[in-house]
Amino acid sequence: MAPVRCLLPLLPALALALGPAAGELRRPLALGEAEELWEELWDAEGLPGDLPELEPECRRLLAAFAEGSATLTGCLGRRARPVRLCQDCHRHYRRLLAQYGSIARAIGNSSESHNCAKSILTSDRLQIVVTLSEFFNETWETANCANCLKNSSEGLSNSTVEFLDLFNKSLTCFEHNLQGQAIDLSPNNYTEVCKNCNETYKMLNELYNNLQRMNRQGGESGHSAHLCIDVEDAMNITRKLWSRTFNCSVPCSDTVPVIAVSSFILFLPIVFYLSSFLHSKQKKRILILPKRIQSNASLVNIQEKYS
Amino acid sequence: QFTPSSFLRIGQLSNVDLNEDIRELETELPRQHPNEIPHNEKLLSLKYESLDYDNSENQLFLEEERRINHTAFRTVEIKRWVICAMIGILTGLVACFIDIVVENLAGLKYRVVKGNIDKFTEKGGLSFSLLLWATLNASVVMVGSVIVAFIEPVAAGSGIPQIKCYLNGVKIPHVVRLKTLVIKVCGVILSVVGGLAVGKEGPMIHSGAVIAAGISQGRSTSLKRDFKIFEYFRRDTEKRDFVSAGAAAGVSAAFGAPVGGVLFSLEEGASFWNQFLTWRIFFASMISTFTLNSVLSVYHGNAWDLSSPGLINFGRFDNEKMGYTIQEIPIFIFMGVVGGILGALFNALNYWLTMFRIRYIHRPCLQVVEAMLVAAVTATVGFVMIYCSRDCQPIQGSTVAYPLQLFCADGEYNSMATAFFNTPEKSVVNLFHDPPGSYNPMTLGMFTLMYFFLACWTYGLTVSAGVFIPSLLIGAAWGRLFGISLSYLTKGSIWADPGKYALMGAAAQLGGIVRMTLSLTVIMMEATGNVTYGFPIMLVLMTAKIVGDYFVEGLYDMHIQLQSVPFLHWEAPVTSHSLTAREVMSTPVTCLRRIERVGTVVDILSDTSSNHNGFPVVESNPDTTQVAGLRGLILRSQLIVLLKHKVFVERANLSLVQRRLKLKDFRDAYPRFPPIQSIHVSQDERECMIDLSEFMNPSPYTVPQEASLPRVFKLFRALGLRHLVVVDNRNEVVGMVTRKDLARYRLGKEGLEELSLAQT
Repeated sequence: MAPVRCLLPLLPALALALGPAAGELRRPLALGEAEELWEELWDAEGLPGDLPELEPECRRLLAAFAEGSATLTGCLGRRARPVRLCQDCHRHYRRLLAQYGSIARAIGNSSESHNCAKSILTSDRLQIVVTLSEFFNETWETANCANCLKNSSEGLSNSTVEFLDLFNKSLTCFEHNLQGQAIDLSPNNYTEVCKNCNETYKMLNELYNNLQRMNRQGGESGHSAHLCIDVEDAMNITRKLWSRTFNCSVPCSDTVPVIAVSSFILFLPIVFYLSSFLHSKQKKRILILPKRIQSNASLVNIQEKYS
Repeated sequence: QFTPSSFLRIGQLSNVDLNEDIRELETELPRQHPNEIPHNEKLLSLKYESLDYDNSENQLFLEEERRINHTAFRTVEIKRWVICAMIGILTGLVACFIDIVVENLAGLKYRVVKGNIDKFTEKGGLSFSLLLWATLNASVVMVGSVIVAFIEPVAAGSGIPQIKCYLNGVKIPHVVRLKTLVIKVCGVILSVVGGLAVGKEGPMIHSGAVIAAGISQGRSTSLKRDFKIFEYFRRDTEKRDFVSAGAAAGVSAAFGAPVGGVLFSLEEGASFWNQFLTWRIFFASMISTFTLNSVLSVYHGNAWDLSSPGLINFGRFDNEKMGYTIQEIPIFIFMGVVGGILGALFNALNYWLTMFRIRYIHRPCLQVVEAMLVAAVTATVGFVMIYCSRDCQPIQGSTVAYPLQLFCADGEYNSMATAFFNTPEKSVVNLFHDPPGSYNPMTLGMFTLMYFFLACWTYGLTVSAGVFIPSLLIGAAWGRLFGISLSYLTKGSIWADPGKYALMGAAAQLGGIVRMTLSLTVIMMEATGNVTYGFPIMLVLMTAKIVGDYFVEGLYDMHIQLQSVPFLHWEAPVTSHSLTAREVMSTPVTCLRRIERVGTVVDILSDTSSNHNGFPVVESNPDTTQVAGLRGLILRSQLIVLLKHKVFVERANLSLVQRRLKLKDFRDAYPRFPPIQSIHVSQDERECMIDLSEFMNPSPYTVPQEASLPRVFKLFRALGLRHLVVVDNRNEVVGMVTRKDLARYRLGKEGLEELSLAQT
């Protein structure tokens, strides 16, 4: 209740501060202009009077956070396809984390004067800063970026760098071989690519599988068995190119032997059941005749005897 | 309305199969020589005996009960709780063991086969992969089948019919032995690893029951170890209570459904029930699922997570898409109808197959060969389906354990392989939870069809394996198919999430096959962890049962019948009021006199033609004018103990220092009393006399001759009797009603039928 009461006398001052600007111009302000004006006022000196709403220190932190999240969002959006989130945005992400951290740090000691955490993070229903930060964290988590960064998050890990190198190499190889081919390349004739880039592709595949295996073994239970999204997506693109577009991986289908073997196995039970039906001696049960009163006559006898 | 004699004839007529041997019987040809007939469902085997659920309240027992004071009774009560806790813990641990071993062995197998297939996809020669897969399966199943067929045949199947019979009061030989448990556990592991269309959940119930029976006795006769504890519980009545707790603990470990476990015991074996027992059983169930949960959590590396309460987890069904609306309820009911019809078809096919197996494939080596063939064919069918399928799904973002590429493009996997190239439990969960579009309808249809026949063929093999998971899998597959076609029909309406329909299909199929109602509803509800599903699941199961019962009976009941077990249902057949105890009973009865000559007793016991277990004791009066009224009832086991300890009148006079026989002597011999042949009685001793009055049950239950069959049945069933003496109005024994006398009346298609007794 207390903050409201101390704010109340300030409201006329606020109106006064706005009043002259609106009066002088004497024309209906466009909405955008009004907003800009408000922002200017806000950015420059804050609320007129000594509004204790936000400490300058906190305002600075908030502005930094806004800046950082804008950059990160831009980065994420630009790197969406083909996916390069982890490689290109990790610096922004780290910076944002730090900024959020400095806002939230003061949360413990609420008695302190510059209590930014309280005023920025928890003083309204929307809590937009928290929401934003949660969104970024979640995205990062889902993308599993931690997997291809170094433990201290400074730069890409060695295996990722190695993988990306190889990936670029195979892409170059594809490109090179496609260019080398005649202009009139028919859509199904990619044999050149398949032959020349097979080695690189195999290596890439191998490396990817190795990474996956290592990840699965060393992975804590919390992390899923996924690699980071960049690596996964890169591999995915390559594989699609390789087996869908170039049609390079043609598995040997040997239908005849499979049919032969399976029909042999499927034939066995028929033989088994037929032979056991014909040769096995059928199990007979021996009926036991129960000891019972056989007929009415004996019943009558008994009754007569006893009555 | 039939007169008794005409009824009997009709009963026999209805027994006639299309068989010449019985034609003889029909024409009333000489009935002296034994008739041989092929096995059929209308028989009762002499092999099965009743359990003594009724306490023999003889003098020894009364003396002992009088000696026990109030505090001692309290100790007994505490011991009961301790035993229940131990049952829970051990059952949970056994379930963990099975789960972990299966996971590792199956993982190893699939990795080997996958590696092989990947290798040969490039170079050609996939037929070798097929051979490898088939051979691996067949050899693993061979081991599993050999141990079952040659060491302990009672461990075959899911074990639920056997436990049902045990709780009903039928003594199935070897059913609760330690050896059976070991074979069962190993057999389950091997048959699941061998890739058969089976699950490991049903056998958990049997395992729990064996554990309960073992612990409550405080000793193992197989290992010849006696821990000298829990001696008070060494009789059939107490053991039965613990066995029902063990069965509940087994269900609870299998599905993570403690309440479902309690209700299972209630539904299957609950003619003997009270609230304290229920509470104890619930305790055992809870302990069991908690043990499994904590041990598996530690094994999976997140120790405090407690996220795997059962062997099978249906996963979480709690997002908005999984909810249902009222409009969908008729659709669910329709699914119940489909489930009932498919279940009836499954049971009917399995019936013919089982009959064939009993008649022709009865030699153990043939059974092993059959199991191996099924394993090889299962692998082959799976391989051919995967080979022919062109349904490829992107590998990214999917949770497939062993993605098999085969002819798909790089980075994609074969969708059919997720269903076939996996343990059935995993496949079920995949069908429930994979996002829409993971399977195309063709794949699901083919899979349902193939798996239906494979599962039907597999159940009844001489391997220990359950039918729960295959049923769920079939149902989940067609349910998902149903859901997909619904969303096609409704142009992709939001509520047609295929996972939900997969669940309902699974419930319908399982209900159509096993026909359990209350317990199955609760089990499914607990396994999904979603109480709001209770209502549709109940409706689905109800419909499936009604529709299925119209055609054939449930799978377990069918197998009980095919085994010729004298199983007593809840009620006597509805049209049996015209029968009285006189027609039902066996007569004449072999009676013993209260003071009987040892020679006579030995002769009666050794007579192989009449393998009786209970003998009415009548007054031993020398003059024939007086009638010999009923004085009590004595059991074969008691007589054998008496003979073994030579409790003869003459000896008692000779040596007064001789120890008096106590109840403990009877308990020590329980449950495997020596056969009469092993007891040596000399010629002199044969002339001695034996006084039974102290050992016989002086107050056996009796009925007059005029009592109707339903009345006799009710008394017999509700009290869990083994012998019911029929007396005339002068208290003279005229007949004896036993389990087989009552179980032979059954309501068939053409009214009341009478089963015949047979030596099996």
